[in-house]
Amino acid sequence: MDVLDSLLLGLESALQPGILLYCFFGVFLGTFIGVLPGIGPLAAISLLLPITYHIEPTAAIVMLAGVYYGAEYGGSTASILLNLPGTAANAVTCLDGHPMAKQGRAGVALFMTTIASLGGGLTGVMALILFSPIIVEIGLKFGPAEYFALMVLGLISASTLASGSPAKGMAMVVFGLLLGTVGTDVNSGIPRFDFGITEMMDGISLVGLAMGLFGISEIINSITLKRDKKITEKITMRSMMPTKKDAKDSALPIVRGAGIGSFFGSLPGTGAAIASFIAYAVEKRTAKDPTRFGKGAIEGISAPEAANNAAAQTAFIPTLTLGIPGSATMAIMLGALIIHGIQPGPLLMSEQPALFWGLIVSFLIGNIMLVILNIPLIGMWVSILNIPYRILYPAILLFIMMGVYSVNNNTFDIYVVALIGIVGYAMSLLRFEAAPLLLGFILGPLMEENLKRALLLSRGDMGTFIERPISMWLLIIAFAILAWSLFSAFRSSLRRRTVAKEQAKHG
Amino acid sequence: MQNRDIRDLLGGIALIALGLFAAIHAQQYEIGELRRMGPGYFPTALGILLAILGVFIAIPALFREGTRIKIEWKSLFWVMLSIVVFAVFLDRLGLVITSISTVLASSMASDLTWRGRFILSGSVAVITYVIFGFGLGMLIPIWPWSP
Repeated sequence: MDVLDSLLLGLESALQPGILLYCFFGVFLGTFIGVLPGIGPLAAISLLLPITYHIEPTAAIVMLAGVYYGAEYGGSTASILLNLPGTAANAVTCLDGHPMAKQGRAGVALFMTTIASLGGGLTGVMALILFSPIIVEIGLKFGPAEYFALMVLGLISASTLASGSPAKGMAMVVFGLLLGTVGTDVNSGIPRFDFGITEMMDGISLVGLAMGLFGISEIINSITLKRDKKITEKITMRSMMPTKKDAKDSALPIVRGAGIGSFFGSLPGTGAAIASFIAYAVEKRTAKDPTRFGKGAIEGISAPEAANNAAAQTAFIPTLTLGIPGSATMAIMLGALIIHGIQPGPLLMSEQPALFWGLIVSFLIGNIMLVILNIPLIGMWVSILNIPYRILYPAILLFIMMGVYSVNNNTFDIYVVALIGIVGYAMSLLRFEAAPLLLGFILGPLMEENLKRALLLSRGDMGTFIERPISMWLLIIAFAILAWSLFSAFRSSLRRRTVAKEQAKHG
Repeated sequence: MQNRDIRDLLGGIALIALGLFAAIHAQQYEIGELRRMGPGYFPTALGILLAILGVFIAIPALFREGTRIKIEWKSLFWVMLSIVVFAVFLDRLGLVITSISTVLASSMASDLTWRGRFILSGSVAVITYVIFGFGLGMLIPIWPWSP
């Protein structure tokens, strides 16, 4: 089937009224969550996960995806107006976005970030359309050894690149893998770590884990945060219009940012946040006058916003074509498909073409909806930023519990969420990241299965992982990343020590 | 000891304990061999790996200064209580009373006024009823006397 036919099929699937509605609901909620600082797309997607049990798989994944890329659109609003990033990927937008707001150019900044987001999003979707079939071809040649090696690479880069301490990140991945083994083992039918509790035989529920780790602990952490800044300025359509110079200065940064974002988004472990930081750094380095950055340079907002939206789209490449998510958010998407009995992988494109291409076309539709939501309706989002958190969180908490309950109509799951919530809060106090844990949890059963199969095929010879070239290279890259992150962690701790000594000497 | 990096020390020790517990607990499942792994193989390996990582996290923390941990006891208590209230009440007292009590409990963590708390819990209960009881048609008791 050629690409055009596929896209037509996708269009047909995405234009069904039900799918359109869920797409709109997803991007709307994504913008809402993105606008609010403190709640990220991960928490929002976990919140919606229970609903996906009750709707058909295409609608479910279209909606969840909409929340994810919608949050990248909305996230810049709080960065610009309050100097608080709406999501992690919008942190770098604060650097020049907030100074622009102080100069009375908040409207222009909001307009340009939306346009940059659209440019980045569309570039990402194009990359998705062009590269997915190629990756599928490669994926079809993968055996269990290659899958295992790819998961090792994904987990190592996800746990070491983004976090400060590689050992802590990896410990969280292993903890997640271990939690993934809870429940009945598919091969032997033996329940593991069930402690004699019937409900535990099905394993720990993804919804409960995600809600406990992200929802509950984020709420506990945010209640006492003071957000006393009120936004008083009016954002009018007139104030949003960029000057000719703004448009000209942003054009190339958007292209560069979109390229950088598309590339890093598709790699496991790096994602929208890292892509936006790199895009900003590149702009600063290539600028004629780098001192303008941090003082309201428009390139400093358009490049990272293009990058994070491009990355949000290309992150779907490994998830959909290989079935290997590169981040915790993508892992939840994968989980949502598995709930419906759909196993993403190289066969998804040929076995479920309406779902695969429908999802991709829905990205295009969703991006256009987001522009409409973010430019004419910006006033609504600004007023949402003024709702105090103490009114929002009790409602969010109740919805979390209603959602968890609705999965099995069972209050046992609520107690599980409470327990996981305490663990999640303890983890945040001790500065252990929850995202690698969730990634490990979802990949755990897949990893065990592929490891078992690979060793069964090789009759117990571990050499199979290095004798097969693709698997060997994946593992070499994984170990290079590991070695590099250990080295840089070691170097930075040495540097801290020298600084401390110097201070003690002069102190 | 007091100014050591208590976060990594505690975290590391917890991971060592967890890893060892998992590895030992997994011994009751068949381990098998590399060629044909039993259900105990993967969890045992992961447990040992987790304990090793725990050692690598805890040991360096002994030689490093850290900051104090600040626990939001009040938020933690009220949020947990509201979750338990929800779980205990829902099957017995129905959706409406559960929603009001849950929101009241969780709102105790913030500096909202009593008036504010009642208005908030009442309106959230209405919204919850409209979305979940009416809109999604979930099969949950609405009132204590509902079947």
